[in-house]
Amino acid sequence: MGNKNEYKVQVRNLTKKFGDLLVLDDISFDVKENEFLCIVGPTGCGKTTFLNSLSKLYDITAGEILINGEPVDLKKHNIAYIFQEYSNFPWLTIRENVEFGLRIKKMPEAEIKERVDYFLDMVGLKKFQDYYPDQLSASMLQRAAIARAFAVKPEVLLMDEPYGQLDIELRFKLEDELIRLWREVGTTVIFITHNIEEAVYLSERILVLTNKPTKIKAEISNTMAHPRDIAAPEFVELRNQVTDLIKWW
Amino acid sequence: MKKRKKINGVRVGIGAAAICSFLCLWAFATREGTTLGILMPGPVEVFTHLVETTYTKVGPLTIWGHMFNSLRRVLVGFTIASCCGILLGLAMGWNRTLEAIFRPIFELLRPIPPLAWISLAIVWFGLGEGGKYFIIFVSGFSNVTINVYTGAKSVDPELIGAAKMLGCSERRIFPSIVIRSSVPYIFTGLQIAISSSWAAVVAAEMVRSTNGIGWMITAGQSVGNMEQIMVGIIVIGVIGFLLSTFMRGVESKLCAWSRVQDS
Repeated sequence: MGNKNEYKVQVRNLTKKFGDLLVLDDISFDVKENEFLCIVGPTGCGKTTFLNSLSKLYDITAGEILINGEPVDLKKHNIAYIFQEYSNFPWLTIRENVEFGLRIKKMPEAEIKERVDYFLDMVGLKKFQDYYPDQLSASMLQRAAIARAFAVKPEVLLMDEPYGQLDIELRFKLEDELIRLWREVGTTVIFITHNIEEAVYLSERILVLTNKPTKIKAEISNTMAHPRDIAAPEFVELRNQVTDLIKWW
Repeated sequence: MKKRKKINGVRVGIGAAAICSFLCLWAFATREGTTLGILMPGPVEVFTHLVETTYTKVGPLTIWGHMFNSLRRVLVGFTIASCCGILLGLAMGWNRTLEAIFRPIFELLRPIPPLAWISLAIVWFGLGEGGKYFIIFVSGFSNVTINVYTGAKSVDPELIGAAKMLGCSERRIFPSIVIRSSVPYIFTGLQIAISSSWAAVVAAEMVRSTNGIGWMITAGQSVGNMEQIMVGIIVIGVIGFLLSTFMRGVESKLCAWSRVQDS
């Protein structure tokens, strides 16, 4: 595919209406190859609608979304999505869940085995590979979902508040794991969260959204080196800056 | 594991003790000299008669032959009901047009009890096997359909989204996600259907038949043979229990993941 386009993802005048309700109002932005972009916004501002439109789970009302300069096509473009809820298939074991996307893409058996072993190991679930999702804890399930998403080596990884339901300790752990995976695999990540600290901790760039009808309020670059210290003055300053932008009261 | 085995052992022990107590109570209540003893045989007489029927004929057949005939009828009716019920349930649950067409008719027919169809079944299929198959079909069909329909309807949209994102085509979503996640519902439907089919075969045989467990009971009634009636009733209970245990066994093999959820 090469890097003919400077941008991996280009969103042009994205508009989404549900009946008369305008949810996304003419949004445009670009995401660079291998960039880690966080999108934050007040609760109920249409963040999930935004990601679902981006991933073609919803039909958009107007505008276009391009990947590598072409309209999004799930058959052609390798996109993975990690949902807010744990979306593991309950009838498959953890291993079979991670294999699912690779089998759909009809990869050779040897490569499936190698990749699945690698990613299960990476998220620390090798020991639990033959368990069913209902036998595992919340953090394990989300790790399984992460392994499944990374196993297809996606060009673009969409994440919708994946850690929203986890306690703070697990969240920190999985955030570090995500950064490590992102660096090793090299993928473009669009991460939605309402947690400002999480956004500042993970991202290279932050998009702040307004309340409905949603527009982009601000775009903030975040160049701090990893691993980031949440108590460092520059971290706190950036966090406050984003918090001020997000305040709608 | 050991603890679980122990708990299971205790449970089986308690169950056995309860059945023994029931048999003792039955024997006591029907002992010689009591009014109930005149109306109803005791467990020993019934058991002796049961053993006798395994080698002496009751009517045209031994009890094995009657059981075989009843089971054959159930198997035919239940298999047709299951296939049709699963197909219609999945179709209504997945396709809105098919749901709009079939749901109203189904909802109208569903509350009609299978026995209400007996007269029509006789008119349509005569007094032979056809009518019995039909009654069994009717009693199993709506149970399977409604459960499968509920299963196909309640597929988590997030799972469909996740499959799509992993490259699953629309055509593959149906077998890979919808059917797979409906399996526990399908089995619930089949379990209820096998029990109701078994109940229906007895009713169908009581109306008009020359063999089967239902026939054994009506034949016993017409000659005032209480032991034969009681043997028929007990055999119905035991076979019904074995059929649903068998279905549960198949379910736990095929839906290990859903058993995990239940425990």
